[in-house]
Amino acid sequence: MQLSQKQKDRFMDVLVYALLAILTLSMLYPFYYVLILSFNKGTDSLLGGVYLWPRTFTFENYARFLDDPHWYRAFLVTIMRTLAGTALGVLFTCLVAYGLSHRDLLFRKSYFTVIIFAMYFSGGLIPYYVVLRSVGLLNTFGVYVIPSILSTFFLLIAISFFREIPSELKESAHMDGAGELVIFYRIMLPVSMPLIATMSLFLGVGQWNSWLDSAYFVQSEGLRTLAFRMMEVINKSNAPMDAIAVANSASAGVTSYSLQVAAMVISIAPIVCVYPFLQRFFIQGIMLGSVKG
Amino acid sequence: MELGTRVTGTTGKTEARAQLWKRFKKQKTLHLFVGLGMIFLLVFAYTPMFGILMAFKQYSISTGIKGIFTSEWVGLKHFKEFFNDYQFGMIVRNTLVLSLLKVFFAFPAPILLAILLSEVKNAQFKRFVQTVSYLPHFISWVVVAGIAFAFLSTDVGMVNKALLGLGLIDKPLDVLTNPNYFWGFATGSAVWKEMGWWTIIFLAAIAGINPSLYEAAQIDGAGRLARIRHITFPGMKGTIVVVLILTIGSILGGGLVGSNFEQAFLFGNSINNPTSEIVQTYAFKVGLRDGRFSYAAAIDLIQSVISVILIFSSNYIAKRTSGSSLF
Repeated sequence: MQLSQKQKDRFMDVLVYALLAILTLSMLYPFYYVLILSFNKGTDSLLGGVYLWPRTFTFENYARFLDDPHWYRAFLVTIMRTLAGTALGVLFTCLVAYGLSHRDLLFRKSYFTVIIFAMYFSGGLIPYYVVLRSVGLLNTFGVYVIPSILSTFFLLIAISFFREIPSELKESAHMDGAGELVIFYRIMLPVSMPLIATMSLFLGVGQWNSWLDSAYFVQSEGLRTLAFRMMEVINKSNAPMDAIAVANSASAGVTSYSLQVAAMVISIAPIVCVYPFLQRFFIQGIMLGSVKG
Repeated sequence: MELGTRVTGTTGKTEARAQLWKRFKKQKTLHLFVGLGMIFLLVFAYTPMFGILMAFKQYSISTGIKGIFTSEWVGLKHFKEFFNDYQFGMIVRNTLVLSLLKVFFAFPAPILLAILLSEVKNAQFKRFVQTVSYLPHFISWVVVAGIAFAFLSTDVGMVNKALLGLGLIDKPLDVLTNPNYFWGFATGSAVWKEMGWWTIIFLAAIAGINPSLYEAAQIDGAGRLARIRHITFPGMKGTIVVVLILTIGSILGGGLVGSNFEQAFLFGNSINNPTSEIVQTYAFKVGLRDGRFSYAAAIDLIQSVISVILIFSSNYIAKRTSGSSLF
């Protein structure tokens, strides 16, 4: 049978839409599934068969999450490191970038060489650990924030962003006798909102999701992050375990598994709420980065 | 900007120096800002680079940074030890297989998705699909591992429960623990997580194609597939080459999806260890867990050297073939 060109195109359309629909579903459903699981009674979830909505609806998993000192504490630590790490990271990276964005800056070439070299080479994990130990950051809250206040990648993006800002803005402020610091935060930062939004999203998501530093550089239980706690549960349950034993030790129908699922939803929720609205910015950001890169 | 006037002689030199000093003083706040950044890099990026020395030494953590320089030289002892390690072959094989699988699958996936998306005329549907496809990129690997557990684990996994219930299998599939599944699962989950994200860059390439080419092809009677093959694909070629080269430069970390370590750490366990142990996880275990710092630093260094060679050679090839390069 010979298909006409139009029929072929029609067939292509159907195929494209079907493939994309399947793909979208495969990306949405896993998130939806953990969401309904987090609202289902833990002991009931172990029986299986929950697919589209909670079978025995409950808030108990979340209540227990907030009651559990380990989870709750990790939640607070994660919020704090995200706020502090993002704010300081954006500010410091922008400050250094502001200095470097001046085309007539002396030693500009040397500064850039230092930055580019640091971007492509690293001493590796072990020497880095030794350095953190020597500067006294091991096992402190600071280890989450201080080593990441300067991102070389965003430094380069911020420099090219600042260069696009009309210099008349700066010059008129100079005339009025404003110092560089004042110009930086009164003039440059307010007109750089697209840049700040993109940086905040990436640094914030990085901070929020981070667990490696909590595993490497921290021993104190009170400093564990949310992602670290989830990692712990996964590591424990990766080795085959007896789900029934977990169920028996559960109270009010909450199991360690259902607690974990609630933690996952708490960890996903802020990201889902924020990133769709910053899409325009981060698409620009990745394009800028790839052009530079 | 060059110094305004060119002067000769010793008086000229001092004058030039004075002028330079004047300029520097004028810029001193800016240099302070940049200087803070340089101090940061010195401490957190450059000091660890000197730390590489410990790979050739018998370093003990109690001696701190000073110990890196004062500890005893042992030459290539740690490197030899690694090459003679009974797990050496297995670890290197796992690292290479996982890295190559990701290039073969995770690299083309966003190209295909970008082409599919470019064929969608309904703007709202396209936007929705794109937005959803970014979502996994922002979620941590820990959560992805948790989701995988919820679907695939042998005792609570939804897929296993459903298949058992339907009588399609008589014992649960051990996807998360069986060594035979690890590579496939790691590659598949990396594609799932990062495919949408890397589509951004390929869609931009497609958007840059002159639309009159499509119109002309249509008039000549080219069908949809023909247009994809002869216009869309050639139009993306430059971007594809650059991204491929970037991928090869970072291949040992898992290419652009860069997740070898996290996957091996989170999905690896005592049972699937024969396929899931890679150089990075091994270095982590012997280094920070067992406290053999020099040995772990040596293993790290081998991987870094290979990566640097790959970065430079792929950069060289990029410069020669496409004219675009990293540095």
